[in-house]
Amino acid sequence: MRPGTLVRLASVGSRADALRVALTALSATLATLAVLTAATVLAIPELAGPLAGTAANNTTYRSALLNEPGLRPGVVIALMLLTIPVLALAGQCGRLGAPARDRRLAAVRLAGATPGQTVSLTAAETGLASTPGVGIGFAAYLVGRRVLDRPNQDGRLPLPTDVLPPWPALLAIALGLPLVAALTAALVLRRVRVTPFGVVHRQRLPAPRPWPAFLIVPGVACFAVLRPLLRYAERHRLDVPEGAFIALLFAGALAALVGLLLGTGWISHVAGRVLHRVARRPAALLAGRRLIADPWASSRVFAAVLACVLFGGGAAGMRAYFATEADTRRAYDQWWTVQQGFRYTPGGDDSSLRDMDLVYAAVLVGLTIATLGLLVGLAEGIVTRRRTYAALVASGVPRGVLARSMFWQTLTPAVPAVLVALAVGVTMTWSLTIEASTGGQVGTLPGGPTAVAPELTRGVPIPFADLGLFAGGTILAIVAMTGLALLFLRPSVSTEELRTT
Amino acid sequence: MLLGLLAGGPRHGYELKRSYDEQLPRARPLAFGQVYTTLARLVRDGLVTPVGQDQAGGPERTSYAITAEGLAGLRAWLTAVEPPAPHVAGALLAKVVVALFAADAATARDYLVAQRATHAARLRELTALKADPATGLSDVIALDYAITHLDADLRWLRTTLERVATQAQEGSA
Amino acid sequence: MTTVLLEARGLVRSYGAVAALRGVNLAIAEGEIVAVTGPSGCGKSTLLHCLSGILRPDAGEVVYRGRRIDNLSEAERSRLRRTELGVLFQFGQLVSELSAAENVALPLLLARTSRRRARTAALSWLERLGVAEVADALPGEMSGGQRQRTALARALVTEPRVLFADEPTGALDTLAGEQMLGQLVRLATQQRTTVVLVTHDPKVAGYAHREITLRDGQIDPTGLGLAGAGLAMVDTEGVG
Repeated sequence: MRPGTLVRLASVGSRADALRVALTALSATLATLAVLTAATVLAIPELAGPLAGTAANNTTYRSALLNEPGLRPGVVIALMLLTIPVLALAGQCGRLGAPARDRRLAAVRLAGATPGQTVSLTAAETGLASTPGVGIGFAAYLVGRRVLDRPNQDGRLPLPTDVLPPWPALLAIALGLPLVAALTAALVLRRVRVTPFGVVHRQRLPAPRPWPAFLIVPGVACFAVLRPLLRYAERHRLDVPEGAFIALLFAGALAALVGLLLGTGWISHVAGRVLHRVARRPAALLAGRRLIADPWASSRVFAAVLACVLFGGGAAGMRAYFATEADTRRAYDQWWTVQQGFRYTPGGDDSSLRDMDLVYAAVLVGLTIATLGLLVGLAEGIVTRRRTYAALVASGVPRGVLARSMFWQTLTPAVPAVLVALAVGVTMTWSLTIEASTGGQVGTLPGGPTAVAPELTRGVPIPFADLGLFAGGTILAIVAMTGLALLFLRPSVSTEELRTT
Repeated sequence: MLLGLLAGGPRHGYELKRSYDEQLPRARPLAFGQVYTTLARLVRDGLVTPVGQDQAGGPERTSYAITAEGLAGLRAWLTAVEPPAPHVAGALLAKVVVALFAADAATARDYLVAQRATHAARLRELTALKADPATGLSDVIALDYAITHLDADLRWLRTTLERVATQAQEGSA
Repeated sequence: MTTVLLEARGLVRSYGAVAALRGVNLAIAEGEIVAVTGPSGCGKSTLLHCLSGILRPDAGEVVYRGRRIDNLSEAERSRLRRTELGVLFQFGQLVSELSAAENVALPLLLARTSRRRARTAALSWLERLGVAEVADALPGEMSGGQRQRTALARALVTEPRVLFADEPTGALDTLAGEQMLGQLVRLATQQRTTVVLVTHDPKVAGYAHREITLRDGQIDPTGLGLAGAGLAMVDTEGVG
């Protein structure tokens, strides 16, 4: 197929289904914003520190996350991670099989296209649909730079609106994102077969095994060994580059995430079997069988959500650490002030906690996008089975039974998976630092005797409140999205689907 | 056909007639006279030979058996492909053509409606017999033959009517 | 075969600007097997959908056992379809993730039968239809004929009074279709189930007691299924 033909066919297709195009464009917009922001943070100039080879803090911004060179890579990583759910959403849109689209793809196959050509066609459709989204993203970014460029009294900026990524980077983003979106769509379409007679979404796969989930263990271990490693390096005065530790943490997070997603397949399978065995009512029976038949569906649909939840769990752990640290510091301050003979008044809010709020916000944004992807994935599941659903409704199965089976099917694997993701996330950060401590130094009173500050060591508690909020919020979001996806059920069960001629 | 029946073993005339009726119950019934004249012709041609007589409590009966020559003939008949009906002819075809092109609309219509109804009724009747589990295999095969022909007639009737109507519409347009 | 079980009075139904049914009157007696035939697009399927309460007619009435059903709520019509009416389509009606026995048991489970009893009933119906050997197979692992016979078992497991079948043999080869239709007619006769059979195939219509031909959304008393103008044209062409 010549590129011209491909573009022509893809644009014909994109005209036909507005919903898919709109969602793809939206996800492309979000991805553009995330990537542009990351590029901007990267573009913040590194200031030379007092010593050669060290970097000094910027003083341009209000947030330490942006000012401190040591924290900036973390921000960039976080922003890049944010693009994962976004791209997953774009890819899911490529799978979204509206009836008209399925028929069109089947017709293209019937006209003699190879399976590979239809895949490149759907990928091209996604790429084309994401192009306006990228444009909107750029526009929003450029407008946002102006609007948010508001220095406060001391001239500090809330966001790095004073720097612009270099031109080649901008160009690469503009061209690269549609390409990446197209590639994601091709990847997601791996399990979809477009035959001349329609689009087949399912291939029987072997039942998932539990062992891939054990990837979580080395993932968490990467975090747990960090502190001993640092101490070891310190003791032996080894000059380990900082990047190695960051890479270790990144690899650990990735391993844990992959293990989690693979484990979700197994969780679905087991949940399906249990549900199938104990089900008394048709809704649960249907859901159980669906889970057994395609256990990977839920890990695919929930992938982005689980990634965000994992990240959120980690963030909650970090926040708990910072909060404890702030507490100990305050206690130390209090002791010090009293020692000095002043009255202690608690100081302003803590900057690291404010930074964690920023991270929380990022997690929430990611979760929102991931939830959109979830909606698309669930809607796709309904639309794919429309003929069966239509026949069931025709034979008198109430829509309520189908709706309940959808809830069973999403929640049975989702609840344990979300809980595991949170647990893994919080364990990872929790194993980084078990306790926060200050004190033990010698405080010198001006012109007086020396006093030893008391050792103030506090264990970091597990932030059950935050975790509960995350779990509850995520599950609530899943319930809401399932409810929204059910809106697709009504048009899907129209008698048009039963027509034989 | 009789040769085929005799290939199963020697039989006498009455048995032949009975097994013929059993295996092809809805074919045209075979008259006794026809059985004997056919047997006489087969004996004359050396394809069949009389093998014995018994008189067990009734009229004299002659059993006949197939000869080697007869077997060869049977094999030749079975292997020869039946030519497709060379001439398209039939009362149905003639009547429909005449009705469509020579008669007035009302007559044509009445004839076609009645013809279709009769065909459909016969089709239903034969289908009911075929669907009856008591019906034997050879019977089902014969019924199927008749049903398929009726089905073909009905389809042909419809197509013809549509074809003529389309042509007429195009002609008048 | 004297009591009227199902009746259509002046049924009208359109899809947008396209009129699928334009005033259909029809009475079907208890235990009767009626074939609805006609060229494609004549409104056969729409008539079946209206009679079975899947679709609501724009005008006219559907009367089942002396009671109008076209004005019932969706929930009530669903219940009716689930308990007293059975439906059978050309294909795609089995839940692909459920085994044959589970598919057949589904309507019983909906009626709050216990799983064990539903399975027993499902197995006995699969047995009666000669597909007991695929009871634990998924639809994807069965032949077309086995699938369709499983679907028939599911339609009959509630012992409906009326069975609606829309081109039930459309996706089957001749022999498998014949076998299934034979079973359908035999079981319907045994249970005194009324059958409405939509088909374009004269051979399939041959299984019915009576044949109704639709043409342009109306019943064609001639059975020819051809526009009346057609014959008039023939006349001017032929004689004139």
